[in-house]
Amino acid sequence: MQMSQQNNNPKKKTKYFFDYTMLFIVVFLLLFGLVMLYSTSSYEANIKFDDPAFYFRKQAIASAIGIGVMLFLMLIDYHFVQRFAFLAYVVSLILIILVLTPLGYEAGGARRWLNLGMSLQPAEVAKLALIVFFASVVCKFKDAIKGKKGFLFVLGLAIPHAICVLTITQNLSSAIIIFCIVLMMLFVATPQYKEYFIMGAAAIALAVIIVLLVKYDVIPTSISYRFARIKAWMDPESYAANKGFQTLQALYAIGSGDFFGKGLGESIQKLGYLPEAQNDMIFSIICEELGLFGAFAIILLFMLLIWRFLVIANNAQDMFGALLVVGVMAHISIQVILNIAVVTNTIPNTGITLPFISYGGSSIVFLLAEMGLVLSVSRSIRLEG
Amino acid sequence: MSIKLAVLFAMILVAFAFLGIRLFIINRDNGDKYKKRVLSQQAYDSVTIPAKRGDIVDRNNTKIAVSQKVYNVCIDSKTLNKDEGANIESTITALFSTPVTFNYTKDELRSYIMANPDSQYRIIAKKQSYESVSEIMNMVNNPTMYPDFKGVWLEDTYVRQYPYNSLACDVIGFVQGDNEGAYGLEEFYNDTLVGTNGREYGYLNDDENLERTLKPAQDGKTLVTSIDVNIQSIVEKNILAFNEEHRNEAREGAGSSNTGVIIMNPNNGEILAMASYPTFNLNDPRNTDNLEVQVELDPEKFGLMNGILDGNTDLEGLDDSEIAEAVRKMAEENKAAEEIGINTGETNPEETKPEEGADSEGQNEGGDIDINVGDGAQDETGSAEGSPDDPYAGMTYAQAYEKAYEDAKMEALNALWKNFCINSTYEPGSTMKPFTMAAGLEEGILKGDESYVCNGVLEIGGHEIHCSNRLGHGTLTFAGALEQSCNVAFMKIGAVIGKSVFMKYNQLFNFGLKTNIDLTGEALTNSLVFDINTMTPTDLAISSFGQGFNVTMIQMISGYCSLINGGYYYKPHIVTKILDSAGGTVETIEPRILKQTVSEETSRKIRELCVGVVDNGTGKSARPAGYRIGGKTGTAEKYPRDKHNYVVSFMAFAPAENPEIVCYVVVDEPNTGNQAVSKYAAVLCKDILTEVLPYMGIFQTEELTEKEAEELAEKQQEFSKGSTGEEEGVEVEGEIIVDQDGNNDAQSSDGSGAITFVDENGNELDEEDTTGKKIEIDPATGYAIDPTSGILLDPQTGAPIEPTSDLEDAGL
Repeated sequence: MQMSQQNNNPKKKTKYFFDYTMLFIVVFLLLFGLVMLYSTSSYEANIKFDDPAFYFRKQAIASAIGIGVMLFLMLIDYHFVQRFAFLAYVVSLILIILVLTPLGYEAGGARRWLNLGMSLQPAEVAKLALIVFFASVVCKFKDAIKGKKGFLFVLGLAIPHAICVLTITQNLSSAIIIFCIVLMMLFVATPQYKEYFIMGAAAIALAVIIVLLVKYDVIPTSISYRFARIKAWMDPESYAANKGFQTLQALYAIGSGDFFGKGLGESIQKLGYLPEAQNDMIFSIICEELGLFGAFAIILLFMLLIWRFLVIANNAQDMFGALLVVGVMAHISIQVILNIAVVTNTIPNTGITLPFISYGGSSIVFLLAEMGLVLSVSRSIRLEG
Repeated sequence: MSIKLAVLFAMILVAFAFLGIRLFIINRDNGDKYKKRVLSQQAYDSVTIPAKRGDIVDRNNTKIAVSQKVYNVCIDSKTLNKDEGANIESTITALFSTPVTFNYTKDELRSYIMANPDSQYRIIAKKQSYESVSEIMNMVNNPTMYPDFKGVWLEDTYVRQYPYNSLACDVIGFVQGDNEGAYGLEEFYNDTLVGTNGREYGYLNDDENLERTLKPAQDGKTLVTSIDVNIQSIVEKNILAFNEEHRNEAREGAGSSNTGVIIMNPNNGEILAMASYPTFNLNDPRNTDNLEVQVELDPEKFGLMNGILDGNTDLEGLDDSEIAEAVRKMAEENKAAEEIGINTGETNPEETKPEEGADSEGQNEGGDIDINVGDGAQDETGSAEGSPDDPYAGMTYAQAYEKAYEDAKMEALNALWKNFCINSTYEPGSTMKPFTMAAGLEEGILKGDESYVCNGVLEIGGHEIHCSNRLGHGTLTFAGALEQSCNVAFMKIGAVIGKSVFMKYNQLFNFGLKTNIDLTGEALTNSLVFDINTMTPTDLAISSFGQGFNVTMIQMISGYCSLINGGYYYKPHIVTKILDSAGGTVETIEPRILKQTVSEETSRKIRELCVGVVDNGTGKSARPAGYRIGGKTGTAEKYPRDKHNYVVSFMAFAPAENPEIVCYVVVDEPNTGNQAVSKYAAVLCKDILTEVLPYMGIFQTEELTEKEAEELAEKQQEFSKGSTGEEEGVEVEGEIIVDQDGNNDAQSSDGSGAITFVDENGNELDEEDTTGKKIEIDPATGYAIDPTSGILLDPQTGAPIEPTSDLEDAGL
């Protein structure tokens, strides 16, 4: 798979690496995602818009744009983006705040989008911006972050975005993802383990306490729908009529798929039973139509992709490149894990999309931009000479 | 750093592996359960495709009941509320720009949509014609052209329409509720007419894939009836004219409490027309406006009279009938209020009452005065305190009032919807006489050369039974006995043939049995005829001239048809053919001869005798100008005898030689001073035949007298003007038919044997009066005039026209 590429300088004859494996996986996931998206959404699109290809077409256009962005970023030197790191940090924060202005609009009951001629979800921008920004910051403060102060300072830089995403767009899952991406980048960039395990243990303890408090009704579910979701998570059958409905329908879809599934396009659950089938819940339809076999294949593909990230990060020319890849790797892996965890009711329901496959224009464009950056990093790897 | 990366990667792998195991476990533990759940929550959302109810057509394929496809306009609030309700306004505006009249105003519709975001089905306009919904249909079918018109669809349905409104209402019946026939053909042939609804449904095939299938509706079948709309119209027009002519004559109301006419083809049992009065509009069967029987609240039944009297000073000092009238008015106002949507009770005279009612109530309850929370007088506690078995116990005045009103209304409507011609039973009277004669002739007991002496009375079984002519008919020939409808002669005939022969023939003619005509609601008369084992000579005597037992019109005419058609008893029927929705014949219902009642020879004799009745006897007034017909009059007194209510009838066949139709007219309680005048039925029969015979292409055989020609010309002019020609009837030649009967029927429950009957007589007075008595006839009324006093007399008895207690009469 590894192929050499000729440098512009004929004298040096240096061979550079290009990760075709990763490119192949990305393109495959993208195309597979489009097929699955059409399969899941055509029924609903036909009813709602009288056009079975409604979602498919929008997603295909976004994918085309994303491929363009990816190719552009792939071909330029990734150090170019380092110059805009701080700008990206500020602009992405402003974009989130802009949701409060009339530019923002609401869909599906949540105000998370901006209408800038085309629709844009600032949280997706923030993920990419923060990956670039933190790769740059960590490089600059690579010694300081080994100390507690520097570490907390750098970590603290993620807080404005996380808070804004949580409060302005009411998007807890994106806030968690942003925070976890930064945390993972710091984890890789620093030598210590203990602090992270303490933090991890503290987070788990907090989660357990909240769950227990909700379970025994110390915290009434009326405070927030999130607590109601926790209750529904523990016992979806009892909340089958409302909060547990989507989860239960997703489980039905997964459970009814058997090993090889009902066949592509043959899902029953997508026929109006499973809300957001083309969106957060697309993985359960994959399980229903393609069975455990298909689901494992997809998981394997994601694992391969993450493995490629690992290889690229390990061999990156410099720390900035490596951290960029680590950020992307963190992003992809967190989203895949949380998405599948939600679909299988392993964690409470929260809206997280499956990268490359779920419906979402902003998401696909920025994901492909990240892929472009990673491929750009891969191109800088010098093989020999 | 690379170690850290490896650790991170390992953690991710662990998470992935964990999730993979999770997936596997879900499938392993719950796979089967979830598979079933997925299948069980399939609604197989099937859509019913309504079948079109079959048409009913007359013998010339004129449609008398049709189903019209119409559309319900439905909205889907859920769809409209999507996209933040962006399409609500545009959709409402588009809807209201169409000619459809909606059940909602714009504002109501908007607030309904807003308030019910989960509703997916709401009918906002019912039963709209294609023309009025065509714009909506266009918008629904072209969503790309009307992108902001959403959440609206059209639902197909059918409405039953009767193009002739009230024509043949009793025969056709109507449709109520969910395509369910009520009364008449609609009910009898409901299964044939209704068809099978189709369905469009989804199901899971062997591979558990959802498939959609359309099972088209099978439209109902069409009934071709033997009814002729033109003959039916003639019949109904004349019935109406008769009832209007005698309206309010002796009592308030129509010209009779009921009038029934059947016209039948004696040669195949087909019913050409069947009508009764009053009629109702099939397109609006529940309309009470035209109820002849007023919806009245019987004060006693109402049980609230005391309350009204106590509370309503307006009613004090009125007599019973005035109170009844006041209550009836209340009922009407109640109804009017109901119709315009006001709470009943508010506009009633009882407005003055509540305070008093509350007062008395208050006393009973120790001074507590109820405070009413509702609106208006509706909730006023009236003084409706009844005994425990009072059906109105525990109701407020308004509730009890409403219940009483509704009960009375339903009772009246049910009576209206019934088919008098098959549902009502009555004593046939003298139209029975040909049957009695036929039995004797057929058995050879009678030769036809007998003669009878009538002294006006005959004692049988200890009872003196009078003839209709109290003075006696003198000596009558065999034919004369029928022509003059002499009860004494027939009592003698009855005695000669004996009860076993008489009853044998009654059974042959189907009395006591159903004819099984293809209509719903035929009365069963098996308990209303004599039992041969308990039949007394008196019973035999009175039943020989048609009193004492009950029949239905359809029994009489079916039996009579066999009597004059050569003895063949055809099963009467209305439907002659059943067609599928494409017009192909599914079934042809052939005439069915059930039995031979009498021989050809006897039948011929009876025909001749009946022609004699019209030529020479009591049936003269039934003869349509230019035709020779046969027939028999009938006058029967109804129970209770002392009310002097009568059923008068005429049974005719035409033409005399080779009968093509039989027409049977029954007038129940003619609204006239003296009801016992079968002329009313005979004249109505003549009026009907005068129009029907030419329509049927039956040519005149007799020469017209000048007077007849004049009348006919006049009538024809009226026909062409389309008027009802009502001048006719009154001045028919002075033929008077008064019958009497007496009787006691076998089932009379008093069992005392105290049979107060009486006299009878029948006859007609004119030149040919065999008794030779000449009595002047009042040309206006047809009554005899007492030569000395000038008072109108009952021609046969010589008694004044007011019926006296012993003057009850029976048919001639």
